[in-house]
Amino acid sequence: MAKVYTGRDGVMQLAGATLAKVVSFSLQASLETLETTTLGDNLRSYSPGVTGYSGSATLLYYKDDSNNINTTDLLNKLYKTGTDGVGSSDTVELTFRWIDGADNNDIKLTAYITSASIGAATGDIVRAEISFQGTGALSTVTIS
Amino acid sequence: MAFPSHKPTGRSFDAGDYSYKTFKSQSGKEVRILYGDKRTGMKLQLQYQNIGDNQADDFIGHYDQVKGGFETFTLPDEFRAGFEGVAERIDVATGNKWRYESAPQLTQVRPGVSTVTVNLIGVL
Repeated sequence: MAKVYTGRDGVMQLAGATLAKVVSFSLQASLETLETTTLGDNLRSYSPGVTGYSGSATLLYYKDDSNNINTTDLLNKLYKTGTDGVGSSDTVELTFRWIDGADNNDIKLTAYITSASIGAATGDIVRAEISFQGTGALSTVTIS
Repeated sequence: MAFPSHKPTGRSFDAGDYSYKTFKSQSGKEVRILYGDKRTGMKLQLQYQNIGDNQADDFIGHYDQVKGGFETFTLPDEFRAGFEGVAERIDVATGNKWRYESAPQLTQVRPGVSTVTVNLIGVL
């Protein structure tokens, strides 16, 4: 059946668990191109280079009935005590899903959180905004 | 093994000069003595960006064949690709040949793809 997807169909998961109160997410794929144009050519030519994935998401800062906060495992990748900084194990498994009834259209990747911001403003809901950089291959791609 | 006949992606040419010596008197008068009738010392830099590794290693193979900067050689027409002026004017002048001024620089860009820079000098 024909279908237009909306924000109601979108789901963001962290390590397989659906994150609550996700306001928006976006995911970008990019391909670096290597120019192979030589002297005397009139048209540019390219060879494919390295592919990468990055994106961002905005979540409401939300505490559930069990006192768990939805952004904890995202923000803690950057907001941390100690002097070790971010290590190679500080990755997150993110899944972006577009639901169509019983069918899931997924993109799953491993990523580093590259920026995380959170604040508070009078008369406004507290939001956490994160950016991430994918590392390695996508582990699942079932969008079509 | 001749110099690889790949088309460069960049080229710069320095025309060199004739061999002469300048003498300057106390009054400022300058005298120049010409020691040769052939221009020499031309410099040529060729860049080959994002070529396959199997093309890039041709330059190392040729560098070995001519024993680095020791032996001289001529260049194939492909090195002048895109130049629409008098072809000979960006090649070595009569009597000159090219030799390596420095070793070819090979930079790996990604698996299977490299960039090579070659610096040559024209010598009599």
